[in-house]
Amino acid sequence: MKKLGFRIWLLIILVFLSLLSIFITSSGIAFFQKGVLITSVTQNSSAFENGFRQGQIITSIDGNPINSIEDYANYISENFPITEAKKIIITTKHLEIVYFSDEAFDITVSEIPKTSLKAGLDLSGGARALITAKDYDLTNEDLDNLIEITRNRLNVYGLSEVKVSPVSDLSGNNFMLIEIAGATPKDLEEIIESQGKFEAKIGNETVFVGGDKDISSVCRNDATCAGIEICQQDNSGNYFCNFRFTIYLSEAAAKRHADITSNLEVNASNPQYLSQPLELYLDDVLVDSLLISEGLKGQVATQIAISGSGAGTTEEEAYDAAEESMKKLQTILITGSLPYQLEIAKIDTISPTLGKDFVRFILLAGLAALIAASIVVFVRYRNLKSSIAVIFFSFSEIVIILGIASLIQWNLDLASIAGILATIGTGFDDQIVILDESKNKNVLSIKQRLKRAFAIIMGAYFTALVSLLPLIWAGAGLLKGFAITTIIGISVGVFITRPAFSEVVKRIEKD
Amino acid sequence: MEEENQIKKNWHDKNYKKLLIIPVILLLFSFVYLGIFYSQNGSFIKKDISLQGGTSITIYNQINPEDLETALGDKLEELTTREISDLITREQKAITIETTTDAETTKQILEDYLGYELISGTNADIISTGSSFGESFYNQLLLGILIAFIFMAIVVFILFRTLVPSTAVIISAFADIIMTLTLVNILGIKMSGAGIIALVMLIGYSVDTDILLTNRILKTQEGSLNKRIFGAFKTGITMTLTSLFAMGIALLVVSAFSETLTQIFTILVIGLVFDILNTWITNVSIIKWYAIKKGR
Repeated sequence: MKKLGFRIWLLIILVFLSLLSIFITSSGIAFFQKGVLITSVTQNSSAFENGFRQGQIITSIDGNPINSIEDYANYISENFPITEAKKIIITTKHLEIVYFSDEAFDITVSEIPKTSLKAGLDLSGGARALITAKDYDLTNEDLDNLIEITRNRLNVYGLSEVKVSPVSDLSGNNFMLIEIAGATPKDLEEIIESQGKFEAKIGNETVFVGGDKDISSVCRNDATCAGIEICQQDNSGNYFCNFRFTIYLSEAAAKRHADITSNLEVNASNPQYLSQPLELYLDDVLVDSLLISEGLKGQVATQIAISGSGAGTTEEEAYDAAEESMKKLQTILITGSLPYQLEIAKIDTISPTLGKDFVRFILLAGLAALIAASIVVFVRYRNLKSSIAVIFFSFSEIVIILGIASLIQWNLDLASIAGILATIGTGFDDQIVILDESKNKNVLSIKQRLKRAFAIIMGAYFTALVSLLPLIWAGAGLLKGFAITTIIGISVGVFITRPAFSEVVKRIEKD
Repeated sequence: MEEENQIKKNWHDKNYKKLLIIPVILLLFSFVYLGIFYSQNGSFIKKDISLQGGTSITIYNQINPEDLETALGDKLEELTTREISDLITREQKAITIETTTDAETTKQILEDYLGYELISGTNADIISTGSSFGESFYNQLLLGILIAFIFMAIVVFILFRTLVPSTAVIISAFADIIMTLTLVNILGIKMSGAGIIALVMLIGYSVDTDILLTNRILKTQEGSLNKRIFGAFKTGITMTLTSLFAMGIALLVVSAFSETLTQIFTILVIGLVFDILNTWITNVSIIKWYAIKKGR
């Protein structure tokens, strides 16, 4: 056996590195690991307080080994619900948790991911929204502001695992892209679409608006100055809960408040208060009207209590509604309003249910295609060596593409998979060109024949490459996944696998 | 055609110009068809909701599509349904409903019909596209294809640096796309962004064999012109058949579960069939004509 040339070595090394990049995950080589991965822990639940954290791997519970989701589900269904507080010992990969509570674990678990490949939203489930402004062209600066504000808002809502990024299309239109993996949060549309224009008015005069110019701070998550006060049932049986929280006005806003109130009369029928209330408008809708106590007339008041209410058919519902409105109002008072209305250009929510099957089916489709193509190659060349080489090299090409994808944390969505399939197709075509040219005995040296094959391959490569470029930008980046994956794929093919393949063909021809 | 090329070389020598009539007629028919199609629909393709705006809701439950269509046909505009089934058991897993009615209204109507709440990301997937965004997305993709095509044409000119052979390659690729579009419209396929991806992939695939052919004719000297054409044909048809075979099989698998991939593969299969015609008749005839004139 002659020594392997550097092209083949390069391919072998890259395939090896790609395998490492695919199979070494954040929790080590997961392939042989047993257990279930905690994907989320509800904040402030007893599970959280007892030490459960996202990312831990549960290996056994009370001495029962937990090797799979089934084991976990079996344990839970056999042992829960429990009637009284009970001690449960949970062993995770790195520590032992002693759980003592009468509640079920408030966590979600999944199988340990076997690879570090990341599936795109359309495979793993999640939500994706493209946001633009209504009747207004977003400049780059607007977009940066919008993204900043949206990030803050999503944070206030407790949605931190969210990717917010700017995208633009070929005509220079700007969009904000929001991507949320996993379950779709309730009222997502409302959160991201609300312009959040908050105005506090007395009569027709604006006292203050949302944002840090007028409001120096907003009390939240502090029971002494923010919270639900009372819940009541009205005559028709509905419940109402009131919330109240304190905000601190900037000096300028407080001064404005003093100027405006100094011109007000005392309310004749209700002398404790001034004649006009402080009205709170959210996106031009009146949300609450606060009576101003007579003592505040002309005073520079920096501290103002904002209140409102939530309704529901049960007390719990009303409480949740009140909490929700309070959060919304707080968010808007902190982040301020946007000078334009927002519009959801496109919103996709995909549940994770089909994801697993999808990946399995796609692998099946890819395998079937690979086998089908190999059969054609075998029938045509009647040469087992060449046919096996063709399959082997196509396969190594897929490994390298996936290796790069996991290295750069590329999300493999459906479009990217189409791109990988396109690459395999091109790879087959190129290999056929190499095989055919190498068999053309008219030209003397095999080197010349292969050089000719590469002229054709490079020509095809560059035409494909340039035709993919516009797709990176066209359509607000929605086709970027396909374009980038295919470009990576065909480039790997032309610069790494094809040269190695031609070296193998050279050997086969010489034998 | 393989037989004809090899044995009756003279037949091809005599008739290769006449053969051009086939693609010319098909191309003319496509132009007329697309022209009429455009005047009736205002676009060159039948757009799905992602390109014209509307709502697509996938409900994870066993729901009879006919019953649903009869019940809601007059409430939801341009309603269509599609079943998603398990690949092996063929059991229905979900149903996808597409309509141009907006998401909120559609969801309400479906909830009233089903009698339970649809929670996106849990028991239903909701995809909603604003009509103005759908329109601009469509225009963007058209622009994208146009630029892709122009870029491809420039590269082809740089590769061959001669007018007629380069133009022949470009015409073949153009004819591929036009004929594919026509057949896609005749079949009534509603195109999504994925379909446009497929058209761009088609540019790449169809040019492959044309480049192979042109290279063999212009850049090699061994053997007669017909031999070189036939050699290229043998390689090229293997390439195309391999791709066709692989994609046909993949199409069978994906048709059960993924509308996106089904559309991509359907368009590619159609395109590759037209590519056989356009490479081995359109392109061959033009370049043969050119080579004979130039005395190669």
